[in-house]
Amino acid sequence: MAGIETYQNKKVILSKERTVPFYLKLKTREAVAAYIFLAPFLIFFSVFFIRATITSIRLSFFDWRLLRPDITFIGFGNYIELLNDSIWWSAVQNTLFFAIMTVIGATIFGLAAALAVTRPIRGGEFFRVLFYVPQLMSVGAIGLIWNWLLNTQFGTINYFLSFFGIASVNWLGNPDIVMQSLSMVTIWWTFGFPMLIYIAGLQNIPEQLYEAARIDGANAWQTLVYITLPLLRPAILFVMVTGFIGHFQVFGQPQIITAGGGPGRASWTVIIYLFQNAWVAFRMGFGTAIAMAIAMIMAVVTLIQFKLINRNVEY
Amino acid sequence: MSVIKTSVSRNTWKIWVYLFLFILAILILFPLVNTVSQSFMTNQEVNVFPPRIFPFEPTIQSYIQVVTQGDVRLDLWLRNSLVAASGYTLLVLLICSPAAYAFSRLNFPGKKILFAILMVTIMIPGQVTLIPNFLLLRDLRWLDTFYALVLPGAANVFGLFLLRQFFMQIPRDIEEAVVLDGGGYFARFRHAILPSSGNVLAALSIFVFLGHYNDLFWPLIVTNTLETRTLPVGLSIIQSSYAGQFRPMILAGAVLSFIPILVVFIFFQRQIIKGVVTTGMGGR
Repeated sequence: MAGIETYQNKKVILSKERTVPFYLKLKTREAVAAYIFLAPFLIFFSVFFIRATITSIRLSFFDWRLLRPDITFIGFGNYIELLNDSIWWSAVQNTLFFAIMTVIGATIFGLAAALAVTRPIRGGEFFRVLFYVPQLMSVGAIGLIWNWLLNTQFGTINYFLSFFGIASVNWLGNPDIVMQSLSMVTIWWTFGFPMLIYIAGLQNIPEQLYEAARIDGANAWQTLVYITLPLLRPAILFVMVTGFIGHFQVFGQPQIITAGGGPGRASWTVIIYLFQNAWVAFRMGFGTAIAMAIAMIMAVVTLIQFKLINRNVEY
Repeated sequence: MSVIKTSVSRNTWKIWVYLFLFILAILILFPLVNTVSQSFMTNQEVNVFPPRIFPFEPTIQSYIQVVTQGDVRLDLWLRNSLVAASGYTLLVLLICSPAAYAFSRLNFPGKKILFAILMVTIMIPGQVTLIPNFLLLRDLRWLDTFYALVLPGAANVFGLFLLRQFFMQIPRDIEEAVVLDGGGYFARFRHAILPSSGNVLAALSIFVFLGHYNDLFWPLIVTNTLETRTLPVGLSIIQSSYAGQFRPMILAGAVLSFIPILVVFIFFQRQIIKGVVTTGMGGR
């Protein structure tokens, strides 16, 4: 629409110069070129995104098991089943708990590490690189390592804690603490990313502000609370939003470390629930309904977080 | 007096920072050192109580086992991971950069609507497309192939946005030189835009590559034979089949799987860290 309007506006001006055909040619040439540039992207996007999303919505109203030929329309049946499934709700609860705890933990450790390595000390660069190393490992390697480290009897974490008089903890076998254990592992694994974002944010804070604070006699704590943290707020919000979205989709940690969400279903997350229903029980219709529900939860959370960011911008 | 006092307080403050950094460094390194160290133990030695952190008699038995055990194919899995992640990265660059050029520099009907649609799709999580894409690949008989690992995520909207943002900041003068030489749109893109975008293309490549290399869910559902698995999937499988019997072999597998990425990181450490900040991507 907008393109046509500008085209017509310009046509009026240009017609005085009698260059309409040449102009028209240029304009169409540009549009044709643009679509040629866009074509590969749009083809992939249409097939694997637009078509897939529409199929997903449609399929969520059917009952269909992959290995059986019969497919039945059941209306909102899948959604009703989902809403009434206590396993689903405990998976939602586990996932929210995990995502919130991990985001908070990674923010605190990331911020503390960023503040420490940006002090004028020797070796700051070394620590910054070191703290990013775990982030480079695949969830496969993380899973193998931590499944063993957190072993109740032979794991070295419990052995290490025993020196401080802490009795051995059943990290992965106790349903009440298994999500905390997975969150702890994930914080260890991923806090290097928020740290780097905060370091960049800290470097953007003008030095004059710190000098002004020093002249006013502010101590380190006051400088942190009244200057550093408010100015880092956009970076902190960015890390929390992206972190929450990422950690809400957690799959590898329970899949590998607690062997598919154990003990029992104590560490089932929403993606484990989806995996179990769609690729273990092969319930494709129900699986798409789960995917839609996950999308809805994430949309709501993202909207809330966007609101928070916008408020920050206005202020 | 006051001079001494400030210098003392400055020093104590430094000590606290160092103490914090050292504790954090130990927390980060301990699990890694422990893993490497225990991978040189025998099957009996890892199962003693109290646990040993360093092997009494280091042995490479577990490393020999992990490369010779018939159904542990780290070599094939690594190759699959590298080939698929490279192919995927190349495809993302090939299809996203021209599209980003169209959105940043050219006018065409439908531009605003198309852009708005792409903005909205960023909010839709990947799970929504999993099942239909899985079914499509199954119908095309592409499960268990390179195509299944590479094609579905190729229209990377995030990559498109990142490149568009960067292309918009490139001064137009650079393009005008090509126009004066009689170059068309493709020549402008090829000879003006791409040569000025080395950094952002490299940063995007690193993160698209790492994200794909480390992915578990998608390769787990679209591969189902020993020879076609990727490294993360293979590792998750040996964990469930061998962890009880051959713990040092599992740890050796984890160590070996990490070496390629660690080597890349050691060489490109500065670029990777800079890339994290400019792209805002953590690599997964």
